[in-house]
Amino acid sequence: MIRFNKVNKYFGDLHVLQDIDLNIAPSEVAVVCGPSGSGKSTLIRCINRLETIQSGEIFVDDLAVHDRATDLIRLRTEVGFVFQQFNLYPHMTALENVTLAPMKVRKTPPTQARELGLDLLAKVGIHEKADAYPAQLSGGQQQRVAIARGLAMEPQIMLFDEPTSALDPEMINEVLEVMIQLAKDGMTMVVVTHEMGFAREVGHKVVFMDMGQIVETASPDKFFTNAQNERTLLFLSKILSH
Amino acid sequence: MWGFYLQNLLDSLPFFFKGLWVTVQVAGLSLAIGTVCGFMLGIARAGRVRALNFVLAVYVDLIRGTPFLVQIFIVFFILPEWGIQLEAFSSAVLSLSIYGTAYICEIVCGAVQGVPNGQREAAAASGLNWIQQMRYVVVPQALRPILPPLVGQYVLLIKDTAVVSVIGLTDVTRVGWLTVQRIPNGILVFGLVGLLYFSICYPLVWFSNRLEGRLTVEDNTL
Amino acid sequence: MLETFNFRVIWATMPQFLHGLGATAWISLVALVGAMLVGILACVMRLSGRRLLALPAVVFIEVIRSTPLLAQLYFFYFGLPGLGLRFSETQTGIVALSLNSGAYVAEIIRAGVMSIPRGQTEAAAASGLNLYQRLRYIILPQAIGVTIPALLGQMIVLVKDSALLALISVFELTRAGQLMASERFMPAEGFFTTAVFYLLIYFVLKYASGQWQKRLIFRPAGGV
Repeated sequence: MIRFNKVNKYFGDLHVLQDIDLNIAPSEVAVVCGPSGSGKSTLIRCINRLETIQSGEIFVDDLAVHDRATDLIRLRTEVGFVFQQFNLYPHMTALENVTLAPMKVRKTPPTQARELGLDLLAKVGIHEKADAYPAQLSGGQQQRVAIARGLAMEPQIMLFDEPTSALDPEMINEVLEVMIQLAKDGMTMVVVTHEMGFAREVGHKVVFMDMGQIVETASPDKFFTNAQNERTLLFLSKILSH
Repeated sequence: MWGFYLQNLLDSLPFFFKGLWVTVQVAGLSLAIGTVCGFMLGIARAGRVRALNFVLAVYVDLIRGTPFLVQIFIVFFILPEWGIQLEAFSSAVLSLSIYGTAYICEIVCGAVQGVPNGQREAAAASGLNWIQQMRYVVVPQALRPILPPLVGQYVLLIKDTAVVSVIGLTDVTRVGWLTVQRIPNGILVFGLVGLLYFSICYPLVWFSNRLEGRLTVEDNTL
Repeated sequence: MLETFNFRVIWATMPQFLHGLGATAWISLVALVGAMLVGILACVMRLSGRRLLALPAVVFIEVIRSTPLLAQLYFFYFGLPGLGLRFSETQTGIVALSLNSGAYVAEIIRAGVMSIPRGQTEAAAASGLNLYQRLRYIILPQAIGVTIPALLGQMIVLVKDSALLALISVFELTRAGQLMASERFMPAEGFFTTAVFYLLIYFVLKYASGQWQKRLIFRPAGGV
């Protein structure tokens, strides 16, 4: 479903992705973790070409992401994206945030888009806040709207870039529950997160990155109980100790 | 003497109102053109096409770096040398539009760049193309910061229309200039001219102050 | 277009243009000093907290900002003699420019003053400084620093505004171009040369403003 083949990316002199190889199968949930600055956010931003790569190949289904000729709009409608900082449009209501892309990109008629939007908001559990503006919502509610927005184009894949890192602790669970439900429904997901409970419950594989490289890829069971690499162990000792 | 001049001046009022109408026409047309072009170029300039950025930066610098008086002389006296014949009114609207576009372009560009990049990314991630990203997500958010300096710029542009009197367009300033030859009292004549400009500009200045949320005199002291 | 452009004549009249450039620079500088004085005075009056002082200042600032410089220039040019005041064209021009820019400088300084935390004024007042001392030692030294880029911007405006003095036959840069247009019938050569000189001043001031802004940004913030 998603395939990285010897991907390299630089920010100036900084080699942020080094020879990345990665395969993610349909309906697989991959959790990407690692210390800050390890390149994990960059990795998933490459999947829908919010970042461009300098060498290597990335495929989403049959779409060659690295190829400039690839239809970017088609790629992005196949892939939903949820940001750490939500990035909701402040001048639109929750519902309008969700329905903008269906109406403008897919030309869904307004009434139908509205139905779709309300369905999605119901799915993430904030049906009643459809007409609220982002500033009137809590962080957890905003992020759930953002997930609904990501789902609005009926994507094959959902990408999450640290979706709970900007949230207060008591709001993390409401967002994770939505994500867990999504995973159980069979969505292909790549999630950058340190929420190891989430990884254990629905993750199929954990990808550990450090300094621009994938250090270790393992199933959650193996990753937590039987990690091989000492950099992984060090990282685990840090995040599990609190 | 003052009473006599004042009487004379009041008799010429229709002439002044005619001039004011010319000023309003020139200002209205060039503001409309300048706003439309300024928005388009400003949004384009906020994009990342380097060649376009360079051309627009040069254009803006050329306009901002030279007096409007020199620009209108160039349009009025030099274009005919190259075979482009324009009458005074068209020359005035053309030069004011070119001039206003540059300033409005800068205001729009600054405001568009001020919208957090995450907004554009979020729109891009859900498949909107560049024009849609700008049209539905970025520009609506940029409007609020654009408005106060834009209204301020409108005031400056309306005042700059006074300069078009030098190419023989009978706007309200030129009416004053013609009248003062007949009624040699500059205080009265240009006091009236000033009053007429004030009546157009001050409401905008007031509106612009309100938009910027400035405090009133009573509210702040040293 | 360039084949008809007469560079030889431009070169021959270069002394005139340089003379004009000097006049423009000199007039602008004098007017800037005038504008600073007018601006600081108007700003202090406006912020004095006394209605009797604030009101005239507000009226002055708003009237200047709501009327064209050209109308103000003609107002003084045609009006002062009637009051028995005999100024030369250049003096009239400098007065008009100083008052006009002074109103804008007043607003620029006010913005700078407003950017200084209220606690500063209160602390100064608490330690017994009077209005003049608060301004002189606490407020203005801080306000001027943050307003330098805006003041340089106003300086650019002032240089360009001084072109209007050509219309009351003050000899400066634009007048030099105008003379070339009217006496030698070479408007293109005259006005393009004029424009180039203005651009020269513009880029110098723009560069200076940029340098100052960099300084402001890189200067470590207090307490860090």
